Amino acid sequence: MSDHGQRPRRSGINRQGVAGWIFVAPTILILGLFMFVPVLMAAWVSLSNWNGHGSPLETGVGYVGGNNYVAVLNGQGIAGRDFGTSIRNNFYYALLVVPIQTAISLGLATFVNRRALKGKAFFRTAFYFPSVTSSVAITVLWLFLFAGTGSVNSVLSWFGVHGPNWFQDSRGIFQILLNALGVQTPANPPASLFGISWWEWVAGPSVAMCAFIFMAVFTTSGTFMLLFLAALQAIGEETDEAAMIDGASAWQRFRYVTVPMLRPTLFTVLTLGTIGTWQVFDQIYTGTKGGPSKTTLTPAYLSYDAAFTSQAWGRGSAIAFILFFIIIVFTLLQRMILGQADPTLPSRRDRLAQRRLSTLARRGTTKGA
Amino acid sequence: MLIRRSAPLGLIAAGAAVVLTLTACGGNSTSPTASGGASGAYTKTTNAITVLIGSSGAAETSSVQAAVAAWAAKSGISAKVQVASDLTQEASQGFASGSPADLLYVSTDQFSGWAKAGNLEAYGDQLANKADFYPNLVSAFTYNNQFYCAPKDFSTLALVVNTDKWKAAGLTDADYPTTWAQLESISQKLVAAKQPGLVVSNEIQRLGVFVAQNGGSLVSADGKTATVNSDANVAAYTFAKKLLTEGAAKLNSDVGAGWGGEALGKGLATMVIEGNWITGVKKDYPTLNYKVVELPAGTQKGTLEYTNCWGMSKDGKNKGGALDLVNYLTTTQQQLQFAKDFGVMPSVKSAASDYKSQFPEMTAFLAGADYAQNLPAQPGVAAVLADLNSQMAKLKTSDPKSILDTEQSAMTQALAG
Amino acid sequence: MTVFAPNTATRKAPDKAMRRTVSIWTVLNYAILIAVAVIYISPFLMQISSSFKSDAESTSNALGLPQSWTVLAYKTLFVNSNFPLWIVNSFVVTIFVTAGRVFFNSLAGYALARLHFTGRQTVYAILIGIMAVPGVVLLIPKFLVIRQLGIYNSYTGMILPLLVDAAGVFIMKNFFESIPVAVEEAARIDGAGVFRTFWSVVLPMARPALVTIIILSFQGSWNELSHFIVSTNDPNLVTLTKGVAQLASGQLSAGNQFPIKLAAAGLMTIPVAVMFFIFQRQIMNASGGAVKE
Repeated sequence: MSDHGQRPRRSGINRQGVAGWIFVAPTILILGLFMFVPVLMAAWVSLSNWNGHGSPLETGVGYVGGNNYVAVLNGQGIAGRDFGTSIRNNFYYALLVVPIQTAISLGLATFVNRRALKGKAFFRTAFYFPSVTSSVAITVLWLFLFAGTGSVNSVLSWFGVHGPNWFQDSRGIFQILLNALGVQTPANPPASLFGISWWEWVAGPSVAMCAFIFMAVFTTSGTFMLLFLAALQAIGEETDEAAMIDGASAWQRFRYVTVPMLRPTLFTVLTLGTIGTWQVFDQIYTGTKGGPSKTTLTPAYLSYDAAFTSQAWGRGSAIAFILFFIIIVFTLLQRMILGQADPTLPSRRDRLAQRRLSTLARRGTTKGA
Repeated sequence: MLIRRSAPLGLIAAGAAVVLTLTACGGNSTSPTASGGASGAYTKTTNAITVLIGSSGAAETSSVQAAVAAWAAKSGISAKVQVASDLTQEASQGFASGSPADLLYVSTDQFSGWAKAGNLEAYGDQLANKADFYPNLVSAFTYNNQFYCAPKDFSTLALVVNTDKWKAAGLTDADYPTTWAQLESISQKLVAAKQPGLVVSNEIQRLGVFVAQNGGSLVSADGKTATVNSDANVAAYTFAKKLLTEGAAKLNSDVGAGWGGEALGKGLATMVIEGNWITGVKKDYPTLNYKVVELPAGTQKGTLEYTNCWGMSKDGKNKGGALDLVNYLTTTQQQLQFAKDFGVMPSVKSAASDYKSQFPEMTAFLAGADYAQNLPAQPGVAAVLADLNSQMAKLKTSDPKSILDTEQSAMTQALAG
Repeated sequence: MTVFAPNTATRKAPDKAMRRTVSIWTVLNYAILIAVAVIYISPFLMQISSSFKSDAESTSNALGLPQSWTVLAYKTLFVNSNFPLWIVNSFVVTIFVTAGRVFFNSLAGYALARLHFTGRQTVYAILIGIMAVPGVVLLIPKFLVIRQLGIYNSYTGMILPLLVDAAGVFIMKNFFESIPVAVEEAARIDGAGVFRTFWSVVLPMARPALVTIIILSFQGSWNELSHFIVSTNDPNLVTLTKGVAQLASGQLSAGNQFPIKLAAAGLMTIPVAVMFFIFQRQIMNASGGAVKE
């Protein structure tokens, strides 16, 4: 990439400079206009009392400082309680979806990756197909499957289990468990974090939310399975066989050899999963719109609802920024816990490692794809 | 290096510049047509008119579409009906975007909030038949001493009974319940006779009848104090909870119906609490036979009343045309036509006697108008009602007093500011 | 050669010792995979079968095949609703967005990969930063900007914000970096300008990456919902996603009308499914390395 001639280089690079900017201009313009500027405008709206009529940049729209943020975060009133409820709902959703979908996609990838497995393409297609469909279509399908007299309850009745009316059932699963163990729902529990009671925090995700959790696992495990498959195939067979020679059992091989080598991909999957679960909106909008009893309310949907339905634009924008902050915090937390230095590097390091390993593999064995 | 460090500042400066440019362009969202406000007539233009409705079913949709089409043919202004799947959200987004529907259904809960935010045009004084509307309906749609919009109709809730199932359980006309105790025992009798009993929705827009029947209400008579957790209310919801827990009543969602009419039509309920629009159910379920009776009394007779008005958007592009359409839709004959199609009661006094003679089967609804209660409609109350609804969805497993106590403070806050 | 011997030696030993265990594991392997595959495929089969049932049967007999096949749901969909209009709108938006993304993403990707211009590093950093912003946070703000620009309720408002995506730029950039510089140098020596080099020489070589962009853009814009919610409220501009979402919340009339909703959801999935089956290999290889959804 080094040009040694002086004059041609300068004019060549000048032309490249201009061309470079021209080439990049549309991208910068569109992304700047529809990603960067909106964030600035929303920041202003979140600090103002704009009521939705006219433009937020008109004179006459007052600056109210952090009032919108305080109204949402102090747990007072309906706004505060709704926000607290949405945080609780999304927290449990993320808590359950991320590990389950990671485990299932890793498991599927491991099984599908077996050498001499017939129908590999068929299984890969079957598991990945749900990820291709629109979340709207899948939500409609889910509303049908999990209806009170729907397919899921029919199948459960084969095992003698009387399934709940999934999307109408607002009881938390831990609440059901505690009730079954004899702990009664307290009558007037005091408010705690974010304006909702400790009992509601403990009650866990509602049955309706669990239906959404199943849906999330259904639709995203295929995508992550592919990520794991790519990583597993890059690792290759030698390390595994080396461990086998050393006498390790299948489980030990998996746990002490494969999983550590999957660390970068694992980190990617966990990060993407966390970011994705905190943004859940389409499914709620299409399916339950926050019901039953606000147990499927999420901060993303609440932000939309506060602004577009209740015309509380300042509050809606404030919730959106708080959500942004939450996502950043969780991503950083994960980085710290998993000890990775830079989230963008693993994919490059990962690819380098894969390339190295695959060259080794090519040299060492005669196996095909 | 130098470029890098100043880049973020440069970016923010660029961003701010763009935002300021945006302020200049696109800042005028006001409509170009002349509008006189409360005084002076509106100009009629040839701009097409859109009407946003929240329909109770196919019957209402086709009825309104027919009426609007007839007016469009007569006046030469093109007009179209849009059926909303979520009226509040679609209307709100329309207001915020500056391109709302010209006319829309405005319910009492949303009315004061939208009027206060300046989304609605106060055209009430321009109506041709202004003096003919019932005074309590006019006051429901008056804000800041301005009469905003024409009430389109009103309805009350009553007890709707599937007469085939009633007879199959061995009950007769004399057995229609008139007290709470009778409601409970009749429902249990039905269940014992292997017929479905009472099926209710879990919304306060339906369960609230028990509050009215017990002499309670959510706000005081002058609308200034919250009375959500009064003893009468607590007792009313405790009774409702009792019906649900002992199996005398079921929820729509439990039996797999979307609303009372569907439960009745599919044979999943013998008694439901619904309003005038139940007549539309005949279109979907032609074999259904039902009778409407007044709701049983608690300490007194009580029911809930609903009314909507034809709201006109302030940013509409053809206010003269819209006013003309409203005048057409609120004439006595047109209202009687609506009554025939989907059962609602006309909002004009001149239609009262015709309604009584043409629709004797609806006397229970009309009788309810005498003792009906309205849900509170002050600005900010809609959110409290929505929250109360979400709590009431868990009525079977919750304590009514604690729910009402929570909402008492919310309601106090809403009424205060 | 010596590399091979140990492998074959080791391959024989475990085989003999674990032959019986291996076959049990294999059976278990297949059993689990088949069971999970059944769980993943059967919902779609049930969706198709129930779309041919009557309303009442879809709630009473949710699991089995229709006792009496009827195409009433499909008829209602095409005759009594705006479904055909939704299809048209979805295609219009998808085609423009896909074409736009192919063009603009490759331009920007090439510039970032191969052209030297001041501020290149900054632009690269901005793009990474933009990818970090969660889409959901932008719902309200995008509505405000679209409104301010006066493109609300128009095809422009629906298409323009989607014309470029940062992830696509990265895919193209990575691909262009893998093309040997010699090719471009040769073209430049022959006197081709920057754009000519890009358009006639480098771009044709980028076909695999372009196909990836086409597939991802098609999928992304066809399945997009929240952007259409905030950019329009005109019923003539409703796309399939928004329309089916409205159906799901009961637009046609109150009550559970599963066959119509399932039919609509199924029909809207067909184009992406077709694309998927044709370009399977490409999609699955691309998603293995790509980062975004």
